[in-house]
Amino acid sequence: MKSIKTEIVVVGSGPGGYAAAFYAADRGKKVIMVEKDDRLGGVCLNVGCIPSKAYLHAAKLIEEAKDSEHRGISFGVPSLDLDRMRAWKNGIVGKLAGGVASLARNRGVDVMYGRGYFEDSTTLRVETKQGQRFVTYDHAIIATGSRAAMPPAFDLGNKRIMTSTEALELEEIPRNLLVVGGGYIGMELGTVYATLGSSIVLVEALDTILTGSDPDLIRPVVKRAEQAFKEIRLKAKVLKMATHKQQIKVTMEHDGKEVEELYDRVLVAVGRTPNSAELGLENTRVQTDERGFVKVNDQLQTDDPYIFAIGDVAGGVLLAHKASKEARIAVDAIFGEHSSAEDIIIPAVVFTDPEVAWAGLTEAEAKQRNLAVEVAKFPWSASGRALTFDRPDGMTKLVIDPATERILGVGMVGAHAGELIAEGVLAIEMSATVRDLAETIHAHPTLSETLMEAAHAYYGDATHIYSPKKRHAGNGGTET
Amino acid sequence: MDVRLPRLGEGADSGVVATIFVKEGDTVKKDQPILELESEKAVASIPTPVAGTITNIYVKEGDEIKVGALIFSVAESGAQPQRVEPVIVEEPVEAQPEPVQPPPAPLAPPSGAGVPGIPPPASPSIRRIARELGIDLTRVRGSEKGGRIVMADLRNYIARLQAIAFQQAPPGPQPAAPAAMKPAPVSIDFSKWGRVEKKKMSQLRKAISTKMVESWTTIPHVTQFENADITEVLALRKKFQKAYEKKNANLTLTPFLLKAVVATLKKHPLFNASIDEVTEEIVFKNYYHIGIAVDTEQGLLVPVIRDVDKKSLLELALELQQLADRTRQRKVALEEMQGGTFTISNQGGIGGAHFTPIINRPEVAILGVGRGAVQPVIHGKKLVQRTVLPLGLSYDHRLIDGANAARFITDLVAALQSFQAADVNL
Repeated sequence: MKSIKTEIVVVGSGPGGYAAAFYAADRGKKVIMVEKDDRLGGVCLNVGCIPSKAYLHAAKLIEEAKDSEHRGISFGVPSLDLDRMRAWKNGIVGKLAGGVASLARNRGVDVMYGRGYFEDSTTLRVETKQGQRFVTYDHAIIATGSRAAMPPAFDLGNKRIMTSTEALELEEIPRNLLVVGGGYIGMELGTVYATLGSSIVLVEALDTILTGSDPDLIRPVVKRAEQAFKEIRLKAKVLKMATHKQQIKVTMEHDGKEVEELYDRVLVAVGRTPNSAELGLENTRVQTDERGFVKVNDQLQTDDPYIFAIGDVAGGVLLAHKASKEARIAVDAIFGEHSSAEDIIIPAVVFTDPEVAWAGLTEAEAKQRNLAVEVAKFPWSASGRALTFDRPDGMTKLVIDPATERILGVGMVGAHAGELIAEGVLAIEMSATVRDLAETIHAHPTLSETLMEAAHAYYGDATHIYSPKKRHAGNGGTET
Repeated sequence: MDVRLPRLGEGADSGVVATIFVKEGDTVKKDQPILELESEKAVASIPTPVAGTITNIYVKEGDEIKVGALIFSVAESGAQPQRVEPVIVEEPVEAQPEPVQPPPAPLAPPSGAGVPGIPPPASPSIRRIARELGIDLTRVRGSEKGGRIVMADLRNYIARLQAIAFQQAPPGPQPAAPAAMKPAPVSIDFSKWGRVEKKKMSQLRKAISTKMVESWTTIPHVTQFENADITEVLALRKKFQKAYEKKNANLTLTPFLLKAVVATLKKHPLFNASIDEVTEEIVFKNYYHIGIAVDTEQGLLVPVIRDVDKKSLLELALELQQLADRTRQRKVALEEMQGGTFTISNQGGIGGAHFTPIINRPEVAILGVGRGAVQPVIHGKKLVQRTVLPLGLSYDHRLIDGANAARFITDLVAALQSFQAADVNL
């Protein structure tokens, strides 16, 4: 069979895949993008970041309405039309996926719908609806992403046991919902279902939810979730699930006891599995680790010099923007440039209520690595802007190298923290100092002021908090 | 303060000085390593217990020293503000008109400033440039707040590197300026001695000039000579020439040379390789693209015939002809002159015997072919007339040894002498 020749083939069309395909095409390469589903955009766009944020917005409206009574506004009990809500979500997703398709068309990126399978290091077989196609290429970029993990013990084939994908379909609002896993997916979707009316029990095997972020950033989230959820069980382990009439019977271990409970639905959010199997990687020199993540170097090149891997499938933090950045690093590398993923700052955002966001060095990591850093904090209870919408439950902090006053990390919790972290990322990437941040005007009244005030707090002269002990030399040598 | 060798640990009471990190007059921080001591058990670095200036070092590298031995003295800073003038060792300078530049400050070691394990403070764009230039940013001193490295710091660093590189060049009568690396060109007035005409060098001539200098100065060339008996090849050529002409092909010696060269390259892949000077790898190429030096009115050009191993004599003859024509008309694209793995320079059509061709970098070998000449040769026990082709194989001695070259040229001659009618017949 005659093969189709191209310069670059990208397998997968998520935020890693399409970013790579578009960037390579913009730089003059002939590109084919292969997608196994009928729609472009990958998990993030179709069953991940985007739909979950749409629902979180809806949940927020309900919460805001409910919280408005003391402001003198009463809305009454909201009535929900799940079909319309789902259609609204699908509208957003459809618009974005269509956007990706037309952006591909405009750039001359050929989209091939079908599963991709590597025949050898330079040939990809694509199973399209019209039959097999063989693509030979100079370079391939694997961007097949990951999928929600479903431990075999929970996989009963019962649709009442959901992963995030099914949960986002919003088939119904279960009366009782068990969320297994206190990571960001469990917390975000738990918040959505709780607001829509489910009674939520969340179980987490570790001793904290949202591991990886600093404990002080998590506290306000836990506090709020404790009110919104029926219960949060830490160090709890689900042992068994079984179908019981219209419900799921769950056996779990908690507080040294085994308990058995019935739930209308269960959301399993215990991590994600890379989509690296069934790609024919064994026909190439590509190596994977024991968990199935493709091994890459700092230019995202696999052990097979013709093949690169980016995004979730290449491991590291599983975040869309990390995939998009890696897309550019890989394409630059294909062009022979000295791009590198080393030392890039990847912000993390959790869209809980309130939001948590951090970038660069965390306080916990500094402690663990025994780095001598200092931390400056500014509580949002001192932010006028936060008070105008009744959300003083926030905090901004800077992790600082005292020798150079360079900002090494920024962490935040509070409403819109996900938007605010961008300034922190820029500060770290530009190696800004606390002084730089302190001397940059931040508009009033905005939440962004909390970054500037945290910088002032480092010198002990933040306007809106009083700290009797001045720690570092401020302006004009006011040190005592 | 005098510093003596401290106890190193169980059973280790002496060691050999492996490296001394500082010199007399250096300012040191507390706990900064002064020297490295190698004992039977391990390598230990000996720090200074106080900050200050090193006034004396009593040991040198290679010395064996015992616990308690005096190793260096350090004048503690803060005790008295004492400034040690840097000792400038001046070389005898003879009647130099230009002022001598002061020696550049030594480069900082990878800076210990900042938090260990945290990348040096520089924006993404600066980090990118540093990667491209292969500069280790931990060695660059940043001038901005927080030690942030900006473009000006990179420029200064590069300038300093250059100055140091120059300083380390062998001393000679050159002036103390970067131009000393290469004597400045001097314009000679040839009209003093007679009538002259002047003509600008063409771009092509300049390009050839640069390329030749680059190859000649970076590659250690060796040329291996040999003769090949081409009487049989010429007979075959004569026999089949008409048939080839009917197909519009002119069967010259070059297609035979191409065939023989590729057969020999397959046996000796090193001659079809290149050196990746960055990664220090040998790159073996599984394709055989042979460059053919073509003499044009403007100068030498080397178009490449691709995949010679997959083409017949007829195909090669046809391609050679049209490629040479297009080259003489300057109609070959740049791409057609790239990607060669080996080059043949055949001057047989013009004349001359052996010559030493210059390697077409990044290739590692080139074959120079002179004019075949009828010579008396002892064949068996009889003196006979044979046509003998002079060959000169220049090779890159970094990669290829003399024995390799001798084997290569022997196999090449054998290949040239073993063409059969079946190989040529259409």
